[in-house]
Amino acid sequence: MKKLLLVLFLYSLTAFGEIQPEQIGVIKTLPETYPAHWIIAQDASFFHMNDGKMIVLDADSDDPSARYKGMFNASFIGQFYQAKTRPEMYVAETFHARGTRGERTDVLTIYDKRTLAPIGEVVIPPKRASQMPLDYNLQLVDNEKLALIYNFTPATSVSVVDLVAREFLTEIPIPGCSLVYPLGGRAFASLCADGSILSVVLDENGQQVSASRSEKFFDANDDPLIEKAAMIDGVGYFPTFKGNVVPIDLSGSTAVPGEPWPLVGDKEVGWLPGGLQVTASDAKGHLYVLMHKDSYDGSHKDPGVEVWVFDTDARRRIDRIELQLPAISIAVTRDDDPLLVATNINMEIDVYDAGDGNHLRTIGDFGQETPLLLHGAR
Amino acid sequence: MKWLNGWFDGATENSTRSVAQKTSRRGFIGKLASAIAGGAVAIPLLPIARGQQAANAFPGEEGDRSSCDYWRYCAIDGFLCSCCGGSINSCPPGTEMSPITWIGTCENPLDGVNYIISYNDCCGKSSCGNCLCQRNEGDRPVYNPRASNDLNWCLGTSSNTYHCSTAIVIGTAIDA
Repeated sequence: MKKLLLVLFLYSLTAFGEIQPEQIGVIKTLPETYPAHWIIAQDASFFHMNDGKMIVLDADSDDPSARYKGMFNASFIGQFYQAKTRPEMYVAETFHARGTRGERTDVLTIYDKRTLAPIGEVVIPPKRASQMPLDYNLQLVDNEKLALIYNFTPATSVSVVDLVAREFLTEIPIPGCSLVYPLGGRAFASLCADGSILSVVLDENGQQVSASRSEKFFDANDDPLIEKAAMIDGVGYFPTFKGNVVPIDLSGSTAVPGEPWPLVGDKEVGWLPGGLQVTASDAKGHLYVLMHKDSYDGSHKDPGVEVWVFDTDARRRIDRIELQLPAISIAVTRDDDPLLVATNINMEIDVYDAGDGNHLRTIGDFGQETPLLLHGAR
Repeated sequence: MKWLNGWFDGATENSTRSVAQKTSRRGFIGKLASAIAGGAVAIPLLPIARGQQAANAFPGEEGDRSSCDYWRYCAIDGFLCSCCGGSINSCPPGTEMSPITWIGTCENPLDGVNYIISYNDCCGKSSCGNCLCQRNEGDRPVYNPRASNDLNWCLGTSSNTYHCSTAIVIGTAIDA
């Protein structure tokens, strides 16, 4: 057998020796900063959750093969964050030793944006909240030195990770409250079931220095804040079930709720915010809200048929974008000429010009199944 | 766990809407005075407390338990165990039922009474994949966990892998 292989090898050299052979083993890389119109589709793989995917796409491209830039994994409804200050992305994910069973291990995995390869991981308590993907399950504070991971067992707490030393620091209980919203400096906020908001200040080791709870400022049962807020200049904009928006100033070390204002006019009966990721923002400070009509009790996760765009300073709507197909999640790219991207009900991605609302293309057939969340790339 | 469903088939005009419109969720927080309605519940229903027991007999029910429209599923989000080898109140073979869960309040069209439904998840195997159903009557954001169907309730089980959801009647809802 070996002789035969040798003969074949020599024959191939003889027959094709005159051409320059292509190099074997080349692996492509990506730029450290992604182009502004690239997006990352968070495919939770709802029908086999251990195989979640983060897929990097060029939303400007009409070439189905060239617009797929690469992917990396996020096991069991992983939660995702892109750093601004270093070329890293983070996934909080869960593994069992034998796939669906065996010892559970939760990790914060660190990915290199250039290689899409894992370059480190921090084992965290096996408590991270297992729930629909949501930006506020994983956030960074303190100039991105600390990562905060929301835990739900159902006791609620936050795991603190030092991203420089790449080590787990501590766990902070947040009884009665949930999620992590970044505050200015080294602090975070959490929404509470009684209609208040908790603010927690940390020291340089991630330990709690202080915690304070606001007065009740919303009715968590009758008109709850939708927890899927958009961030604009340190202010979180939270739509409510009944069609208002509550701005919460998160720029300091204590969350300060502001005055609600209406998203829906008196004559726009039946229109309400809804979907999975219902808000987005752009570099100009505009607020985008996914809206559906003919609302009813329980329609707050129904697909939206329009995206309404608001000037948050003037507190007025400046545009209505009619969607080609109803959508469950939206995102907007980071540049001054942004794209609006939306996961439609066929689990494809519709790309719109956020400025004039024109539908530009539909991105489908990229190996996706349930791209529940979209992210404008950084 | 819960979620999806109509998103996949564009069923925003699903027939659950008519049910939704006539099914009030009787503010179960603090108003939940539940009565055990037949059938022993073998595992603790944390974090939901049960109120006084009542002698009322469960009148029965009608309909297709594999249909997302079925009355008990008014706040469910996930794969129906009725389609996965289990039943409306039991888990499929080889899975493990979560001891804690979220609840909904659904009206039984047979007697017009609102019942408290415990949506215990079945865990330890990957997604069933059959009969995905999402309805959100009374669903609240995840900071209100006991009423939130965005959470995977495979908690307190040996594996947190989600397989399907049951819909177990645990009592009647009584207005405060």
